[in-house]
Amino acid sequence: MEEVPSDKPTLRKIIHIDMDAYYASIEQRDNPEYKGKPIAVGGSPEGRGGVIATASYEARKYGVRSAMPSRRAKELCPQLIFVRPRFEVYKEVSGKIREIFSRYTDLIEPLSLDEAYLDVTVDKLNIGSAIDIAKLIKQSIKDELHLTASAGVSVSKFVAKIASDMQKPDGLTFIGPSKIVSFMESLPVEKFFGVGKVTADKMKRMGIHTGADLKKLSESDLTRYFGKSGRFFYKIVRGIDDRAVQPHREIKSVGAEDTFPYDLKETQYMVEELEKLAATVHDRLEKRNLKGRTITLKIKYSDFSQVTRSQSFPIGTNDKDVIAETARQLLMATDTEAVRVRLLGISLSNFNLAPTIKGFEDQLYLFTDDDL
Amino acid sequence: MKFIVNSAYLLKQLSNINGVITTNPVVPILENFLFELEKGSLTVTASDLQTSIITDIQVESKEKGSIAVPARILLDTLKNLPEQPVTFSIDESTYSVEIISDNGRYKLSGENATDFPKVPSVSNDFTAEISTEVLSRAINNTIFATSNDELRPAMTGVYVNLGDKNTTFVATDGHRLVRYRRTDVKSDNGNSIIVPRKALNLLKATLPSDNTDVSVNFNMSNAFFKFGNIKMICRLIDERFPDYDNVIPSGNNIQMKIERNDLLGALKRISIYANKTTHQVRLKITGSELQISAEDLDFSNEANERLSCEHEGEDIEIGFNAKFLIEMLTNLDSDKIKLTMSAPNKAGVILPAEKDASEDILMLVMPVMLNQYV
Repeated sequence: MEEVPSDKPTLRKIIHIDMDAYYASIEQRDNPEYKGKPIAVGGSPEGRGGVIATASYEARKYGVRSAMPSRRAKELCPQLIFVRPRFEVYKEVSGKIREIFSRYTDLIEPLSLDEAYLDVTVDKLNIGSAIDIAKLIKQSIKDELHLTASAGVSVSKFVAKIASDMQKPDGLTFIGPSKIVSFMESLPVEKFFGVGKVTADKMKRMGIHTGADLKKLSESDLTRYFGKSGRFFYKIVRGIDDRAVQPHREIKSVGAEDTFPYDLKETQYMVEELEKLAATVHDRLEKRNLKGRTITLKIKYSDFSQVTRSQSFPIGTNDKDVIAETARQLLMATDTEAVRVRLLGISLSNFNLAPTIKGFEDQLYLFTDDDL
Repeated sequence: MKFIVNSAYLLKQLSNINGVITTNPVVPILENFLFELEKGSLTVTASDLQTSIITDIQVESKEKGSIAVPARILLDTLKNLPEQPVTFSIDESTYSVEIISDNGRYKLSGENATDFPKVPSVSNDFTAEISTEVLSRAINNTIFATSNDELRPAMTGVYVNLGDKNTTFVATDGHRLVRYRRTDVKSDNGNSIIVPRKALNLLKATLPSDNTDVSVNFNMSNAFFKFGNIKMICRLIDERFPDYDNVIPSGNNIQMKIERNDLLGALKRISIYANKTTHQVRLKITGSELQISAEDLDFSNEANERLSCEHEGEDIEIGFNAKFLIEMLTNLDSDKIKLTMSAPNKAGVILPAEKDASEDILMLVMPVMLNQYV
């Protein structure tokens, strides 16, 4: 039977759940002496200094923010307590949160350890109301894990995400379909997905401050000024966001492979292909902010037999040259005489849990806080 | 309005100032050159809001007017024209620009000149004269050590301190620092500014090779450079420069004197074998021998070389980022250099062994901590 397209498509029910000061809240929960105190999870301000991953709400009052250099945070809030992150714990708690989500739906798209989209258009328990589901999830997280979360409920991912941020911490915000247009128009540009500080500044200099200003620009103007994101802004400011909630598994490996039009016989050509693959893999890692500790080379021969070789490092890498060179050495370690290769692939796995901050591991710093 | 100009001459002048134009400017009109014509002189402005460059070009015309002309199309057209006089005919009501050459006619649409951002006017709060040679040397010697870290804006430029005895240029990225001092440039009323890297790069590219003088004017917010028929105006970095004097060590009592090119060559070879992230090389100075080595455990690569040197003080083993050392040594031009150190976790200082009378250059580099591999 064919489905009759209806004029009014069923609106989706999307929930965005965002844990409040996730790492810091877990530390305060597990270490009662941190309760009510300004704490920061992340690198310590000593030596070259790290950056802050999450600050507790008490610390945020002083202006301490995520991604801020720890030294700067210490300046803003001298009594700030620095806590070493325990990623294993955060990951474990995240699994428990996901279990709570899965009581209501399987359409869960985790964005990170502390954030996820849920599509509850159809829910497992036939509750029907997305607002009620959001309330139940928040209550379970509070009762079972002693943590708080903020929820945003709407008909698209974009609006749900902004909604969850509106009444933090422990908030629940619903933005219904009738309010979306006026909501988007009043939204400051920096709240738009994909608008960072640089783009926001650029927009402001152009006199674009809110969604309403953005709406005045044509699609071609937006594309001209902001490239690919311009088209996205054009749609999103009109409330058009049909991106589906995509339940995907955690990224275990990132790679690229290529089957060649002709089988490769010369090592030199294989090495050239590896360089191209390494560049692609590098771009893909960069996009996801990942560094892998294991580099794997896959070789498929003309008779379809296949070998893989891998090498692991103590620290993660996404360096194009390192990837290409490792792959080359792995290739050289196989028998390259008198073979015909139809496919080569490079993948990286064994990702560091915490995204590594680019910098010099052991490079000493010239200035101390007093000099700056 | 209408004017006639030699195509090659115009191309040369425009190429001089084109570097300031960015590919994706904040306001689209900045993709244009601003043309202002008066009394046979065409004033062309290019800008990215932070930095503006203006050049005066002599053309044949008695008219007056202004227009913004798309830079890319104009330059591409001029590049592909054989040298000849070309006529520009501009309709200021429709902003249409027509270029007429022996080869044919090219029409492009310009924009209203009044939409082009105003360039800050010259102010005479502070004035100095510097020769192009000194200025280029100062830029070349410091710019490579500036930082890309936008979170520390002060370090993304070169600090210039004009004093009554000398002028000091300082650049640092937090891991290394260069202090370049000239005793032949001084000024009675002392002052200091931070000039952004982009402006200095543009200046470096535009400065003529003949030794004319550059006049520099600045106030708290802008600096103005004038040489030949070119004027450059740049916004200054309004930040406090780190207290650099404090970090320059005075008690480095281990000293090594060595041929600059020998050391540079060795470092270039050894660094190929160093770790690709840290670029760490190990310098081991014992007696009158310098041993340079690197190892990359990930690939089981390693290399080492031995050089003879003049050495005073205790023996030392210290790690440095080879890239930093190579950049510094490349920018020095004395035959021999001196490297002074005190400990494997304290700053090393590189100095030319022979000193030029009017210049004083000091390069400082922080070590990379050595792991004691078994």
